Amino acid sequence: MLDKEELEIRRIQELESTNLAREEIRDLVIETKKEVEKENEILAERINKEFVRNNIKSFDIVGAIGAGKTAILERIVFHLKNKYRILVICGDITTRIDADRIEKHNAETVQINTGRECALNAYHIYQIIKNKDLTDYDLIFIENVGNLICPSEFTLGTDKRIVIVSITEGEWVVEKHPLLFKTSDITIINKIDLKERLGTNVEKMINDAKEINPNIIVLTTSAKTGKNIDKLIEILDL
Amino acid sequence: MKESLEKIEKLIAEDDIDIKKVKENQINFIKNELKDLHCVDNFIGDFPTFIEPVHLGTNVTIGDDVLIGPNVYIGNNCKIGDYGELVNTFLFDNVIIGENFKLENCIVAKDSKLTFNNLKEFNCILMGQADSKKNLKKINF
Repeated sequence: MLDKEELEIRRIQELESTNLAREEIRDLVIETKKEVEKENEILAERINKEFVRNNIKSFDIVGAIGAGKTAILERIVFHLKNKYRILVICGDITTRIDADRIEKHNAETVQINTGRECALNAYHIYQIIKNKDLTDYDLIFIENVGNLICPSEFTLGTDKRIVIVSITEGEWVVEKHPLLFKTSDITIINKIDLKERLGTNVEKMINDAKEINPNIIVLTTSAKTGKNIDKLIEILDL
Repeated sequence: MKESLEKIEKLIAEDDIDIKKVKENQINFIKNELKDLHCVDNFIGDFPTFIEPVHLGTNVTIGDDVLIGPNVYIGNNCKIGDYGELVNTFLFDNVIIGENFKLENCIVAKDSKLTFNNLKEFNCILMGQADSKKNLKKINF
């Protein structure tokens, strides 16, 4: 005999399949799904147009939790704070720890707490820029929620996407997440100061990134020692 | 509560609402006072998305899949239903709003109970006890 829970699961499954697969609305369901997917792209294009119209250079930074996204941003902001008016948008599930770290270097920040969502999307960014005077900024960074999977699905309308990985994540991290490297312009392999101690095969990580995306620029850095941060700033044309 | 917000609360409680003054204080509050009040630490319910600045009062209940911010003030004891979105919006104390609400650039007066679902409103003041859209008291900006 089926227990109560099993019956409830079946009822819900039935409800979904019968409601969404009805002949008369099947085309509508497919069309709606396609339209919803398009919304992020349209908003991202609109965001980019706004950035370009206001002469703002923009970058979004993606990477796993603990790869060093905020640490690298702190370094960049420290170097550029007197040259540009900078806005940093920080995405996290909860807390404003990252925004507080960046604010110590005198850049303006906006924290987005996504709650249970695993990535920022263009709608979040659009809501922010719609309510800001963009003439107040020259440079915008968006630090995404720490994640190597979900951000691939959502472009944010920035000029370039930077993906940051660290050698503590292991030499397979690039190979295992091809979509994110395909949709990025620059790869940073961080924590290079630990190379000797960990023995990670960094060359494999570089080759994997270039194999997945032949146009991608790859740079090794150490946010801790500051190694190659100047090169990164050069690559970003800042 | 900050000065501009107190002024808005008084202005919208009057019979003849001075919309121009409400707007002036709304802009002033967002521009100068809300960022210092940013607080999303305590709420009851699911995990919404917050785009700062947002202020949540005490004893605020938030439903499933809700987006709040930027520029949102929510007073004490408010209840927000599932699938809601609040942008540039103030809810004064003890407000209840239903499910699938989208309020953009709106002010909801103290003690208002909007207990129905599927309301999308922009640029207005909402108030009263309403169980349907047609019974809602609404003043456009």
